[in-house]
Amino acid sequence: MRRLLLILGNDVRRHLKAPWAIVIFMIIPIAMTGLIGIIFAPRTEGNELPPIPVLLVDNDKGLASKLLVSSFDVDQMKKMFQVTVTDEADGRARMGKGKASAMVVIPNGFTLDLLDAKPVTLLVVKNPSEQFLPDVVEEFMNTMAVMLSGAVQAFSDEVKGIRAMLDLELDTIPWETLGPEFGKAQKKVVAASKYLNPLLIGLKEEETKAAGARPQVTAAHLFAAVLPGMAVMFLLFIVQTLMRDLLSDREDGKLRRMMTTPLRPLELIGARIAGGWVMGLAVLLVMVAFGTLVFRVGWGPFGYFLLLAVVAAFWTAAFFALFHALVRNRNQAGALGAPIILAFSLFGGSMLAPEMMPKAFRAVGVVTPNRWFIDGAALIRDGRFPLASLIVLLVSGLILLALAVPALRRRVSV
Amino acid sequence: MRGTKRILHVAAVDLRLMVGDKIFFFWTLAFPIMFIVLFGFLYKSSDNAPNVAELAVVNLDQGRWGAYFIGQIETPGLAVTVTDKEPAGYSRLIVLPPDFSAKIEARLGQNLAFKKREGASSQAAARVETRLYQAIARTISELILYGTGDLAKFLDGHAELRDLVVVKGEFPANTVTVVPSGFDHSIPGTTIQFIMMMVLIYGGVSIMEDRKKGILGRMLFSPLSTGELFRAKLLARWLIGLLQALMLFVVGKIFFKLNLGSVPLALLVIAVFALAMAALSLFVGSLISKEDTIIGLSVLLANMFAALGGCWWPNEIVPPAVRTVARISPAYWAMDALHRLTFFQGGFADIALQVGVLAGLAAVLTVVAGKVFRIRD
Repeated sequence: MRRLLLILGNDVRRHLKAPWAIVIFMIIPIAMTGLIGIIFAPRTEGNELPPIPVLLVDNDKGLASKLLVSSFDVDQMKKMFQVTVTDEADGRARMGKGKASAMVVIPNGFTLDLLDAKPVTLLVVKNPSEQFLPDVVEEFMNTMAVMLSGAVQAFSDEVKGIRAMLDLELDTIPWETLGPEFGKAQKKVVAASKYLNPLLIGLKEEETKAAGARPQVTAAHLFAAVLPGMAVMFLLFIVQTLMRDLLSDREDGKLRRMMTTPLRPLELIGARIAGGWVMGLAVLLVMVAFGTLVFRVGWGPFGYFLLLAVVAAFWTAAFFALFHALVRNRNQAGALGAPIILAFSLFGGSMLAPEMMPKAFRAVGVVTPNRWFIDGAALIRDGRFPLASLIVLLVSGLILLALAVPALRRRVSV
Repeated sequence: MRGTKRILHVAAVDLRLMVGDKIFFFWTLAFPIMFIVLFGFLYKSSDNAPNVAELAVVNLDQGRWGAYFIGQIETPGLAVTVTDKEPAGYSRLIVLPPDFSAKIEARLGQNLAFKKREGASSQAAARVETRLYQAIARTISELILYGTGDLAKFLDGHAELRDLVVVKGEFPANTVTVVPSGFDHSIPGTTIQFIMMMVLIYGGVSIMEDRKKGILGRMLFSPLSTGELFRAKLLARWLIGLLQALMLFVVGKIFFKLNLGSVPLALLVIAVFALAMAALSLFVGSLISKEDTIIGLSVLLANMFAALGGCWWPNEIVPPAVRTVARISPAYWAMDALHRLTFFQGGFADIALQVGVLAGLAAVLTVVAGKVFRIRD
């Protein structure tokens, strides 16, 4: 045991002397988490997207088109859309260069056609390189279209009156007959207000998740969701790097020399696996500490999380012990290790949240340590004990260890 | 002339060694294809492959208005599931309370609980929400129009609201004619990302190993000069990037109907980008002597450049400040140029700036890499 601890201590000192690779592998998840957080963190309450650049072309310049244009001028819409009013030629030129998400074109004769109760078409020219924002503009215009259609039909008599007046000279308008018409319109407005004030049907939005969760998503929540996936991915990379000694000792002839001492193969194997485990746990905890201090990530009950981290680091050390017992040399380990880690991470949810993945990807993800660690961390954030994750990682880790030790003994004895 | 021949020979040997590596095709083809499929499905959109947003409706209403309102919500592209109790799992859910009809008939305002599961697609949620507002607007419009008198009898027969105003969506003239598929977005992004990863890792590690093992030194015993050796190594790494892009584009064309716009111009963009990455790999490989450090730095650079450059997610959702910072990423310029070709059917004039920036970067990196290029440690 003393010899095992001596080797372990020596390994730790050796890796601390040349820490750059490990430091870089620790920077990557933190940098990626920070970037994802900056991009996807909710900016203002109720507005998850940056303002959408919209070009507005009013070829009509009539009453109805001005009403439509002014609908973009209310505070809520100003937060959502960044509107530039322009003419059609300039707008088309800009859209051809992808300078806005969408261009709304109000056609010539829009007001008159509406007053005549004729169907009219609003054109939404969409930026083909964008996948989401142009559809938001189109759907907003669809909602406006329903409201305009309703308003025109609700006030069809008044609309006809306005239409008739538009054809008259100002001095020929029969002002004295307009009084009763305004009276009728007023009654309709009063009747409509029964449905509009308060709104007959409104929506009360809320965000839900597992029991005990906070209702509002904050940047810290986002970091907390992203960082465990990134951390476990780079834990795999780091432990792989640390445990490559199992091969390099053999290739460099150090193993042969070490075996001339009273050191037993099992002690050497134990020290290497324990080294991967302990150092893996340490780097994981450094990432966790950084996430807590810089990103203000809440991990849930720390005892639970520490337990999960210990088991995950153990699994990783056991896996790479077996891996290094099976591969022939460092080149093969380098060539196969990274693809395996990336495949684990891709399917396991480190690169993309499992619920966003196709079902087949999700099914494969169940056999990866990433998935169990991420699921476990999510449960702990909700204050729950990650029993399933712990059992799966611990049992599969023990099986890997049971397979790795005899295989490594054969390699060490050579 | 002989010098050129020697450069080509050394580059060809390097290329053959890299392609001969068993894992080469995993990195250049298999793994990028997994990415393409994953992100392609994620970005899949619109007419080509309609995205269906899910909405669960808990209809507890004891009257007839609940069913009527659900009818107003239903539309292609929205998968509405009606239940009488809150399901265990859902992405979005709306509850029609027991007194939904009673309140409408009494003309009393009410707010419907609309629940969105945290972490579910915000794009789908926005679509569902918009549709709910449209349904509300339509229902209220019909009530204002025809809802005089007893509303209990309203549903027995009434005229429907006419859609006087309709919205027509289209793309700008001389751009795309069909809605771009998710793969049109994911293939260029994945290609750019993996050119960075492959060229930087393979290129950097192999030049470092050749130097440490004395292979570079031994090569100088041949008629090769140091300059020729540098150019040969640069050429080999550039060819790796080009080869990878060609393979992914061919796979994209055959299996995913990839639309690249002008293929020669797309290859020009890739060529200039790959040259910049080849020079960067020589720079990194010449400065660093540890394999793990080169791999770590390459992964860090490739991931940060890819994320900033719009390889992972659409740049449209990125805050304006991050979009400005993204200009430091070579991937940003390459992606911007490929977008102009793919989605706007652009010509050379449309991508001249982007190609110019990448060419300038390639020139600077080549000079710097040439300065730090070492034959021995």
